[in-house]
Amino acid sequence: MNLRDRHFWIILATGALLGTLGVLLAVWGNPENSGICVSCFIENSAGALGFHDNPRMQYLRPELIGFVLGAAVSAIAAREFRSRGGSAPLPRLVSGIFLMVGCAVFIGCPIKLFLRLTAGDLTAAAGVIGLVAGVWAGLRGLSNGVELGTHQREQGGSGLLVPAFFALLLLFLIFRPGFVLSSDKGSAAQYAPRAISLGVGLLLGAVAQRSRFCITGSVRDAMLMGLRSYMPWGFLAFCGAAVMFNIGTGRFHPGMFGQPGSHPDHIWSFLGMGLVGWISVIIGGCPFRQLIKAGEGDADAGLVVLGMFIGGALVQSWGIAATAAGVSFYGKVAVLAGFTFLLATSLLCRERIA
Amino acid sequence: MFKDRFDRLLWLLLAVAITALLILLGTHSPGGGNDHSATGLNKALEREMAYQARVALLQKLYAPVENLCKSGDLQGALFRLDELARTYPGEAHSHILKGEILHQLGAREEAIASYVQGIKLSGDYIDKKSPLSRHDDIRRLVDEGLKEIGGRAKANPGNASLAAAMKNVYYLQSRLAGGCE
Repeated sequence: MNLRDRHFWIILATGALLGTLGVLLAVWGNPENSGICVSCFIENSAGALGFHDNPRMQYLRPELIGFVLGAAVSAIAAREFRSRGGSAPLPRLVSGIFLMVGCAVFIGCPIKLFLRLTAGDLTAAAGVIGLVAGVWAGLRGLSNGVELGTHQREQGGSGLLVPAFFALLLLFLIFRPGFVLSSDKGSAAQYAPRAISLGVGLLLGAVAQRSRFCITGSVRDAMLMGLRSYMPWGFLAFCGAAVMFNIGTGRFHPGMFGQPGSHPDHIWSFLGMGLVGWISVIIGGCPFRQLIKAGEGDADAGLVVLGMFIGGALVQSWGIAATAAGVSFYGKVAVLAGFTFLLATSLLCRERIA
Repeated sequence: MFKDRFDRLLWLLLAVAITALLILLGTHSPGGGNDHSATGLNKALEREMAYQARVALLQKLYAPVENLCKSGDLQGALFRLDELARTYPGEAHSHILKGEILHQLGAREEAIASYVQGIKLSGDYIDKKSPLSRHDDIRRLVDEGLKEIGGRAKANPGNASLAAAMKNVYYLQSRLAGGCE
């Protein structure tokens, strides 16, 4: 670790900001332990666009728009915006759908997993073990030749399409056309002031683009290189800041029962996050990182993001998403279907040494 | 991108299309002319009206039960509720009212189980802002349940019915705590 390396401090700052603002957004109005949750935000936004009809999960989350547009502005300013893609587009799209399945069965993305844990929700521990196991399985796959293929620089500016889509969502957020839905009850009716949410999203999008910070990437780097890699330090800063602010704002309630947005089906929490960890390694980043990469012009990540929107709609429409009562039958089927897809993809996309 | 005549033509048409789009957006008056966004597509208003109608219908349907409760005939109210539950089996309101009555009758575990059934069918009863909200009643019930049923469950760790009752209390506690659903 080189303390004089600017990149180290950028990663550390990103982690600390993510932890701090993740807690503060819940203080400012977002649902409990869910100040930042990419999967919840996508489910809410998919509902706002009319992709599902759960009236309690419809709200165009400004943070989500901020993540992508902040990353795009940052990439353009640093001359890092490049349209690239062409690596296994459909498997990536389907991966995005199953990322959402894993998150919905656990109730939260990897960022929320640690926000829940740092608020004292001990049921999240099963998810942590699952995420680590999933990342480990993904790394085993990579080391045995499983790869979706490398992307290439693309003509035609396909990398602009996802940022353009989010710019359109920004217009929807500002002008609020009649077809954009907004819940007046349930968790989607809980939100921080729009300007604050958007500002936080833009800031986090920009710093995450500069730092390349990623939750599953941190776990992966910790396994491969230990603390020699900078990413786990950013992750520690994220957890440290979240614990500190959760305690400071009176939101630290350690326990297994009665936790917000949690359920007692620990095996399915483990499997859900296992699916997310494994897919994230194969496609090169957690749901948050996919948004940032899509903002940088990565059309492959853009397809994952579109898959996540489809997944966000399906988990609500098909009753896949878990509730405080536990994981539904369809949720369990969907997780096992996800592992089936993952294993089949690993078999089909494996480069074997003759 | 400005190499030949075809490029220039494309740029020109692009400028025309964007200008037309901006003019259309700029001159648009919500509600005017053939504007579906102000009529059929204003889903928020439609949904609010449907919700208010639902609340009014529930109040009308369950008014006899409420009247029986007010007159102190709790057994009669339970009987009437059973009839209504058979007619509208998927309706959460029956379970919520049954929970309230059972709570008044002192059957705390059964009351909690009934509330759980109702809230699984409709989360409106746990929301503070909803006109159907029973947030405070449920909070009280959970506090009582944690203290009373929790105490008994600790003293009798092998008792399956107490464990099931505690699971229901934890479910309600988790829903009260908020978070994403």
